[in-house]
Amino acid sequence: MTKDEVQGAMEEDQAQSKKGLKKQQKEAEKAVKKAEKQAKLAADQQGSEEDDFAKDRYGVPPMVQSQQKLDRVLARVEDLSPEKADQLIWLRARVHTSRAKGKQCFLVLRQQQFNVQALVAVGDRASKQMVKFAANITKESIVDVEASVRKVEQKIESCTQQDVELHIERIFVISQSEARLPLQLEDAVRPDGEGEEEGRATVNQDTKLDNRVIDLRTTTSQAIFRLQSGVCKLFRDTLTNKGFVEIQTPKIISAASEGGANVFTVSYFKTSAYLAQSPQLYKQMCICADFDKVFCVGPVFRAEDSNTHRHLTEFVGLDIEMAFSYHYHEVIDSITDTMVQIFKGLRENFQTEILTVNKQYPSEPFKFLEPTLRLEYTEALAMLHQAGVEMGDEEDLSTPNEKLLGRLVKEKYDTDFYVLDKYPLAVRPFYTMPDPNNAKYSNSYDMFMRGEEILSGAQRVHDAQLLTERAMHHQIDLEKIKSYIDSFRYGAPPTWRRRHWPGESVHAVPRPPQHSSDLHVPT
Amino acid sequence: MSMYQVKPVCGSLLKPDLPTCMYTLPNIHGQQGNSCTSDLCSEHALQNGEVDPAVKALEARQDEILRKLYELKAAVDGLAKTVTTPDADLDLTVSSSLSSQSPSSTTFTGVTNLDTLIGKDLGALRDIVINANPAQPPLTLLVLHSVLCQRYRVLSTVHVHSSVSNVPPQLLSCLGPRHADSYARQMFQLGFTLIWKDVPKLQMKFSVQNMCPIEGEANVARFLFKLMSPYPSDAALATLVDSWVDMAFFQLAEGSAKERAAVLRALNSALGRSPWLAGQEFSLADMACYCCVFAERPCLLYSL
Repeated sequence: MTKDEVQGAMEEDQAQSKKGLKKQQKEAEKAVKKAEKQAKLAADQQGSEEDDFAKDRYGVPPMVQSQQKLDRVLARVEDLSPEKADQLIWLRARVHTSRAKGKQCFLVLRQQQFNVQALVAVGDRASKQMVKFAANITKESIVDVEASVRKVEQKIESCTQQDVELHIERIFVISQSEARLPLQLEDAVRPDGEGEEEGRATVNQDTKLDNRVIDLRTTTSQAIFRLQSGVCKLFRDTLTNKGFVEIQTPKIISAASEGGANVFTVSYFKTSAYLAQSPQLYKQMCICADFDKVFCVGPVFRAEDSNTHRHLTEFVGLDIEMAFSYHYHEVIDSITDTMVQIFKGLRENFQTEILTVNKQYPSEPFKFLEPTLRLEYTEALAMLHQAGVEMGDEEDLSTPNEKLLGRLVKEKYDTDFYVLDKYPLAVRPFYTMPDPNNAKYSNSYDMFMRGEEILSGAQRVHDAQLLTERAMHHQIDLEKIKSYIDSFRYGAPPTWRRRHWPGESVHAVPRPPQHSSDLHVPT
Repeated sequence: MSMYQVKPVCGSLLKPDLPTCMYTLPNIHGQQGNSCTSDLCSEHALQNGEVDPAVKALEARQDEILRKLYELKAAVDGLAKTVTTPDADLDLTVSSSLSSQSPSSTTFTGVTNLDTLIGKDLGALRDIVINANPAQPPLTLLVLHSVLCQRYRVLSTVHVHSSVSNVPPQLLSCLGPRHADSYARQMFQLGFTLIWKDVPKLQMKFSVQNMCPIEGEANVARFLFKLMSPYPSDAALATLVDSWVDMAFFQLAEGSAKERAAVLRALNSALGRSPWLAGQEFSLADMACYCCVFAERPCLLYSL
């Protein structure tokens, strides 16, 4: 070791000890500061607990056990508008989101599909502790708030009530939600595709259905259920006004009603029964019993083992049945008018709901004509021929051609709903009445919505003689349909028609696909 | 051959536009050789006991005259039907239909065949779809529609599109009462579908192949008018008609008060010179100008 080196080592030692000293000093200072801080905090807490002037303005009240009946009027979020400015109101709502920022806390309060921004800020009404309490309320908890309504200068884009906000003066938690939610409501209403692009979460169908209670709280679900209810109400109202009678039909039946295929068998005590896959038979009975015009709204069960939005195992059927006097167009006019009334009712009374659903499931506005456009099959063929489709005159429309036709009709007439009349006799069942002017065609029709068939109907042959001829033409074993033919031989009404109408009119508005375990429609 | 040979200056293909209201005579200048042979032929045919072609021609002419008479009868029937309702629009319809039919039936026979005009009949109704804004009812097209109805079997339907509401009832019945056979669309030659819709400009859709709509009342009116009688073949005359039609829609219907006054003065002097705006014959120009004046100032016409 050279001298130089020794000196260097000593210097290093000295330097180290100097560093150590500094460190110790710093730590000591830190400890003092910490102690001071703690003391201050404790003092603060003590002090604030002592002078929390807003103590009775917040908290968790005892569980509502109907101890007292308050005459308190609760306002509704959807009614909060600038006209209510500066009023003091009570409101019960769910905490949709909360965000604390320094001395204030922003809450979004939600009621069904409507929400409003609320604010708790330290001031002469609310203390620091109250703000802290509000910030710690878990999402989806139910709260009672007393607040004054204030107009805002800048619109609140994130809420449905954009022109007002609430300044909370009292806040009580009525029912606390767990802190961890299985799914976030904002994620559940995010449109498909948007989440992937921005790296945001979306919720899988399975998760939604496993937690249906929370999923049903989303604005979209709220709107869809209101629309379903609206369609049924409009259907009932329109038909009742037209003199139809609503009937209730059995749903557990002893024999399969239509064909026998696609029917659910259920055990019925010592024997088995079937779930009704159409109220058809009962409607026919009513017509034969001179009811003249009947309709029914009810569940229909079909054992369809395919996964498309047009093959559901359970759905709500909107069925109508009517006798006509001279021409089956009386029936078409009646049905199309009912549809138009439903469309108009939805347009006039359910605009908010349609817009809400559109946010998650974007779609073009539904367009229709009044009176409804009626085209004949030959016209449709001419349009398809001009568009370059090759098909025979008496050929049925394939699904792609139906869609193409829908687009062509939309382009020319700008309507999403139309009737296609006079189908070729060859593609219809043997009991379809032939066209009086051209034996190649028949008195039958389909109705289309957005390029998909939603309803099909026809005038039926009610003459035993003609029916036998038609059956023989189709090479159908007469023995098998003897009872059907005989029912006309022994005096059925001279002219009547029937057709089943699946409850697909809900398609007037976009409907999210539904899980097979979740097809209960509350109507 | 000591002279230069020159090709004929005026080709033999050129056919002069001969009036058909007079008796026709065989051409004495051209095709002399041919006429000689045909004479020989006719003598030959007569000897064989066949019908003289002159007799045949006479028969054809008689049929033609009868056909014209039937047309005239139909026009008069139309007049008798509409004359009972004292409405300015209908009065115009009658006068225009008469005047538009008379030249077309005499001069332009045969071209009213719909197949040649708007494509071959595929066994289906050919439907003309017109989207119009209820705020500006297309008067010209309503007039043209009633003329079309006298010429063809027209299925007229009126619809209201979901983009508008509260259409006045008289607009819903503007194409007249429903045809008794309207349940069978195939029985008609032409469909006239009027849709009251929220459109900035009137539009017409007809062809499915090229979905391009035809925009503007003037252009649609030209199309409909051509379905009944062709445009003047004289380019200058056709341009004159076109300019009157444009003047009517751009300056009378949409122009300022100054422009309107100018057009009215021009109309006045033009009609002082000749019975119709485009000379001796009724044309679309007259129909368009009448409708635009009527839409702006109905009182002006009542005072006439």
